[in-house]
Amino acid sequence: MHNAPTDDMLVRHASPSLNVNSIHGPVVNPYHSLNEKSIPWAERERRSAGGSSGGSAAAVAAGMCDAALGTDTGGSVRLPASYCGITGLKPSYGLISRWGVVSYADSLDCVGVLGKSVDTVKTTRFHHMIQRILPQATPHAREKAKVSAESLLSTLDADLSSPDLSSLRIGIPQEYFPSELNTTIVTAVRRVLERLSSLGAQLIPVSLPSTPYALSAYYVIASAEASSNLARYDGVQYGTRSRLLPGADKSKPGNVYAHTRSVGFGAEVQKRILLGTHALTADAFDNYFLQAQRIRQRIKTDFDSAFRVPNAQLSDPSPNPDGVDILLHPSAIRTAPRLDSDAASGLGPYLQDVMTVPASLAGLPAVSIPAGLAADGWPVGVSVVGQWGSDELVMCIGKVIERTSNEDNRNF
Amino acid sequence: MLVRHCPWRSIQLHQLWRSRAIHTREVIHDKRWPGWQVIIGIEVHAQIKSRRKLFSESFTSRPGETPNTTVSAFDSAFPGTLPVLNPKCVELAVRTALALNSKVHHRSAFDRKHYFYSDLPAGYQITQRYSPLASGGYIKLSKGDVAVGITQIQLEQDTAKSTFDGLRHTSLIDLNRAGSGLMEIVSEPDMRSPEEAADYVRTLQAVLRCVGSSDGNMEQGSFRCDVNVSVNKHGQPHGTRCEIKNLNSVKFMMMAITSEVFRHIELLESGCSVPQDTRGFDENKAETFKLRSKVDSPDYRYMPDPNIPPLLLSEEYIETIRKTMPDLPDATRARLLNLGLSERDADVLMAVDSGREIGFDGELGKGAVTYFDSLAQQRDPRVVVNWMTHELIGQLTARKETFSDNPVSVEQLGELIDLVQDSKITGTSGKSLLKHIIANRSSSAPSALTRELSLEAVSEDDNASTRAWCVEAIEALPKEAEAVRQGNPRVLNKLVGKVMQLSRGRADAQNARVVLEDVLRR
Repeated sequence: MHNAPTDDMLVRHASPSLNVNSIHGPVVNPYHSLNEKSIPWAERERRSAGGSSGGSAAAVAAGMCDAALGTDTGGSVRLPASYCGITGLKPSYGLISRWGVVSYADSLDCVGVLGKSVDTVKTTRFHHMIQRILPQATPHAREKAKVSAESLLSTLDADLSSPDLSSLRIGIPQEYFPSELNTTIVTAVRRVLERLSSLGAQLIPVSLPSTPYALSAYYVIASAEASSNLARYDGVQYGTRSRLLPGADKSKPGNVYAHTRSVGFGAEVQKRILLGTHALTADAFDNYFLQAQRIRQRIKTDFDSAFRVPNAQLSDPSPNPDGVDILLHPSAIRTAPRLDSDAASGLGPYLQDVMTVPASLAGLPAVSIPAGLAADGWPVGVSVVGQWGSDELVMCIGKVIERTSNEDNRNF
Repeated sequence: MLVRHCPWRSIQLHQLWRSRAIHTREVIHDKRWPGWQVIIGIEVHAQIKSRRKLFSESFTSRPGETPNTTVSAFDSAFPGTLPVLNPKCVELAVRTALALNSKVHHRSAFDRKHYFYSDLPAGYQITQRYSPLASGGYIKLSKGDVAVGITQIQLEQDTAKSTFDGLRHTSLIDLNRAGSGLMEIVSEPDMRSPEEAADYVRTLQAVLRCVGSSDGNMEQGSFRCDVNVSVNKHGQPHGTRCEIKNLNSVKFMMMAITSEVFRHIELLESGCSVPQDTRGFDENKAETFKLRSKVDSPDYRYMPDPNIPPLLLSEEYIETIRKTMPDLPDATRARLLNLGLSERDADVLMAVDSGREIGFDGELGKGAVTYFDSLAQQRDPRVVVNWMTHELIGQLTARKETFSDNPVSVEQLGELIDLVQDSKITGTSGKSLLKHIIANRSSSAPSALTRELSLEAVSEDDNASTRAWCVEAIEALPKEAEAVRQGNPRVLNKLVGKVMQLSRGRADAQNARVVLEDVLRR
């Protein structure tokens, strides 16, 4: 890969949640229901696999592989997992090295894994890395995170057919059930909650009041960092170099850069770079970038006050006995949109990330687990979100949800 | 409340827009521009003398290195690479801050400064805009009891080097320098003349070299100056400042300031105002020229670097560096005088020392003071300094060599001094021995060389040898011998000299004198 990265790579990165802007054409969601099996591929309903790791999700869902890697900046692993009916894990920010990952928004980028089941995800080397790294790096914070998660884990045995969840406190954040949420998704999530409740889990309504601002803050921060990270694709060291038209004014280097970058980047990428560049200019910095950072801090504070386990990264974390162990909410506001629908154009794609972005901003571990089907027959995902460093707990609850919904489906 | 929780402190943003406080100093009347006051502030970029770069594993390059050979994937901004802060660079910058009486912050952070240029592969430079490593401080100039305030010290990456090949109409990029560590040292506008500016630069260079944080070499580009100049009538508000970029010698800096002062005065006297420009200096015409005006100044779109966590330095860390860093020139001088050295000897040692090669990562180089300190461990400092300044440095100078070429190890010179002090060899023999070691680049022990060259001193009991040399000397110089016999004692020295020559320095001169007199009297 010594050559310049292609526009394709940049598009993949900067593309909003649908993977329709790729140079190879859109990724088609391979999910199909049992009664659809007899219909030939070309005649099936073409739906999005989600983005930006939709290719990885589609490969797993189509059975081409058991697990695949993907990057998750604002939900790019969890959303495709939800749309394709598979499991997608975004670990705690910073647990998995990003060395070798082409940066999009460094403060949000995580390497995640998609698998056909929780166990598949757990068997990847990648998951072993999480288990190994957690106690190692920055020993103090991670040891605290591990100890607090372990006390709860020791009482849970996800492999049992009906594990005892009586010590588990599950928070249901009210802000994650907005009016845009498809009602049949609420039904699916409710079924999951009922099953967990019947195993003894305590369901506790919680409020994360800054959630409505998360998406705006996310787009400002992600675009700002992307505009910075994409600066190296200037046609000198990296990126396509586009020759100036004859007679163009070459005296200002700025003209040369502007020309080559205007030709080399696609429309969506240019939009992000311009937004990010604007957010960082001296005049806009305070109102955009700084404001977004403040919102990001409020979102972190919201999460910290919701969880029972204190944030191990804080210097003086205070215990919160009334807090919850995990949060549970729908992974997306809808099932996979049709590739030719309105949701695939305009502002639609940007709104897809509304459920996944807060955990990204706070750097929290989150896994999307298949939770049955919506009324349209397409998969619904639920997200389990834990305190920073409690990746094991999140996967364990994911396993319980997966097992109980499988049993449910068999009972249908 | 919330602002305080931000990963970096927005409060400090306001500091950036605070107007610069210009210290009031006594009115200085300068004959070159009577009635006018000149105000100068200097921004220095000093390359950190670390073995490796600021955020990567690759070695820093030396002048003359083959282009593009000390470059890692990170230095060339290869996608997917990440920065890892080099603790040696932090240590050297902290040494510098302490030497400049600055306050080292327990928490500092890194930011990205964006601009497009071919010498900046990532499209941004990692620097410390919002929370610098250290702030405040001062440096005392060598003349006039003037202290120049230090505004702040920050760590940042150096850029690559671009050279324009006019023949081929091509820019050539050398990434060797890209990502090397720099210290940006910003002074308060406390200087009032080109001479004070020169004094500041020279004093700062000496401090950096002394603590081992930088070569401080302007000609080789490891120490670069941007100078801010403004001019106003005495008693009137301060003038508009212009910045002169990239001055690469003290001489040119003084010329640039002088020409800029005259340019400002000319503008003001003709009723014009001085526009706030960024200027370059044309060495051939000895005048500054406009690079860009304030309205053209780029928006660098500073952003906290999301890949580098804040730099947290504990009080213990800072104190450890304070205790273990090399002494500053004043302290060294005081220490040397305290050991009984004369002012002259101390000056010679320190002057030789200041020209030493600076070691990487703060390791002490083979400087004259370190050499002296090792030698003087268990010896009389005054004897040691005599041997060093008069003999060792004297002989090196005679050979047109510098102290960095010194082939004599501390152990060798130490043993040699001991041999002389214990009268195992005479002082004269000691000098010849030293000469032999330097000329032959010998690494043998002086005691072995003494035997090899038959330089052992003739003991006082061994009068037979001395007597034989004396007789030989008298036979060789019959006229002089006769003169002594006639009562002209001063000629005796000539005979003693002959004895020393015949004995190849092994004879004791005092003893030879007695024996000569005795022989002549018979």
